[in-house]
Amino acid sequence: MPSAVELVQSLVNGVGIGLIYGLVAIGFCVIYNASGIVNFAQGVFVMLGGMFAHTLLTQFGLPIYVSAVLSTILVAGIGVLVQIAIINPMWRRKAPLFAIILATLAIQLLIEQVVILTLGDQPRTYPEFTSGGPLKIGPIAIGYQLFWVLGCGALMVFALTQFFNRTRMGRALRACSQNREAAALLGIPVERMLIVSFALSAALGAAAGILITPTQYTAYSVGGPFGINGFIAAIIGGFGSAPAALVGGIFLGVIQSGAIVFFGAGFKNIVALTVLLIVLLFFPSGLFAGRAKSA
Amino acid sequence: MTSLAITSPKPAARLDRFSLGLLGAGALLFAAVLVYGGYLLTVMQLAMIYGIFCLGLNFFMGYTGQASFGQNAFACIGGYGSAILCVQYNWEPALALIASMGVAGIAALVIGYPTLRLRGHYLAMATFALGLITYDISVQWTSLTQGYMGYAGIPPLGIGSLTVEDERLKLLCLGGLLLVGFWISQRLRDSRFGRGLRAISGSENGAAALGIRISRFKLIAFVIAGLYASAAGSLFAHTVGFISPEVFGPQMVIVTFTMLYIGGVGTLIGPVVGAIVASLLPEIFRSTGRFQDIAYALVLLLMLIYAPKGLSALGALFRPRKDKGEA
Repeated sequence: MPSAVELVQSLVNGVGIGLIYGLVAIGFCVIYNASGIVNFAQGVFVMLGGMFAHTLLTQFGLPIYVSAVLSTILVAGIGVLVQIAIINPMWRRKAPLFAIILATLAIQLLIEQVVILTLGDQPRTYPEFTSGGPLKIGPIAIGYQLFWVLGCGALMVFALTQFFNRTRMGRALRACSQNREAAALLGIPVERMLIVSFALSAALGAAAGILITPTQYTAYSVGGPFGINGFIAAIIGGFGSAPAALVGGIFLGVIQSGAIVFFGAGFKNIVALTVLLIVLLFFPSGLFAGRAKSA
Repeated sequence: MTSLAITSPKPAARLDRFSLGLLGAGALLFAAVLVYGGYLLTVMQLAMIYGIFCLGLNFFMGYTGQASFGQNAFACIGGYGSAILCVQYNWEPALALIASMGVAGIAALVIGYPTLRLRGHYLAMATFALGLITYDISVQWTSLTQGYMGYAGIPPLGIGSLTVEDERLKLLCLGGLLLVGFWISQRLRDSRFGRGLRAISGSENGAAALGIRISRFKLIAFVIAGLYASAAGSLFAHTVGFISPEVFGPQMVIVTFTMLYIGGVGTLIGPVVGAIVASLLPEIFRSTGRFQDIAYALVLLLMLIYAPKGLSALGALFRPRKDKGEA
């Protein structure tokens, strides 16, 4: 039986990683709400964010803040590219749902392999944004990076809510999510809104990747797990609002780090996927929506 | 034969000339490889195995119109079942194959029963998660699966003292098994059950109104797909003689879907043609390793966008216009 200190420490770690899952989950929701598409390649944006930031940091010697911003913009550009080159043609041809899901999976594989070819397959990391730490509260250690994750996460969720509620474009996106035909009739350029949603969700994923890389490592293959866990978080949150997705992410992160304490690190994905199956089967519209009848 | 479920002017799908031509071309390739020998024998053997896998996938994906991104889970059960039973317990390969198929079938039944109530993205994600869980278990449960080390020295297929060691003979046997699998799938497709499945893919509500028990039909299709996948996994283990978790990893999903889409989802001969074409093409271009994965992904994306119906559907171009609706 693990000690209380271990449990609290794992709780802290779980909240940190859970916030990242939450950010990825919001990315899922943004695209899903605008288009009804679940972009299974979401994790790739997380990976690209970390990889680009590392490359800009080490190869070009840019300061961390500049590389973080640049990397986010670059990844958003890739999100737009994916939308224009692949998703939009399928969307216009009214491709079936499963074909689009499959396409996003293929995009994930494609981008991962291209990253191996261009940036190499070695895992890499870079120092935390603020040196020093960790902060010690009794026997519990909290890395400074966790505060960056917390701060940036809160900032981004706040900015997103403002964007969706206050700006014209955000409202147009919400209109698309409610009824695309009606939105189009009201003069909202739906396809352009889809591009915006992909850029937004890619940027969110990239930010998550940039924030988490210092506490662990990044490599071509980290996208898959982040994507899956982000999706699970989105399901727990019910694919609705950004705060719900964030809470879903924290919930998942805490469960996962608890599983690491109890069963060992190898089983964290198995536990997460089991949580997914349980939520899908018994709470198909999320934990916060109460028990629903069907999916 | 009349059917209460569906009235169709063409109850049994006959192969048109174009499909026959494609099949003939496949058979010719098969014969050429058999004569030519060498490395291509192995490629063709794998094509046969993938063909069996895709036949099952086609059942669930093509005819029933559902998505399973986790069929590699059942191939994994089949492969490891064969490996463990043969290497650890010295079972007969044929017996091990059938036993693993039994395990995979039961697993499909148990997993499918709750999972298949889901639809759309949820079903896709749940099945995808299934494949990932199986992959993780095959990596982590080292006492059973030997982790990344994998199993080596799996005996080749055979009955009693009669084992198939020669590469050419192996290919012939696999070809025969693929034909058997194809025959079963063709018979099932045209049965009352198969027509029910296709009705579900057309419209679930419509099919339900015609008295088709949707959930039971879907479950049976899922189990059949699982059995095919398990058989393919076992055959892979016996043919190559070595398995590791990577063999049944997430790449397998992309590779098999590429094959299915190249051949044509939901067509009779699509899985077989797709498996042969998609296996041989990379060899022609001599692209290896990473480029091969990139090529698969690119081809799949292009097919999804521009030719979602695949090679077999090209026949429609040569057909008189009035037939098109029924094809």
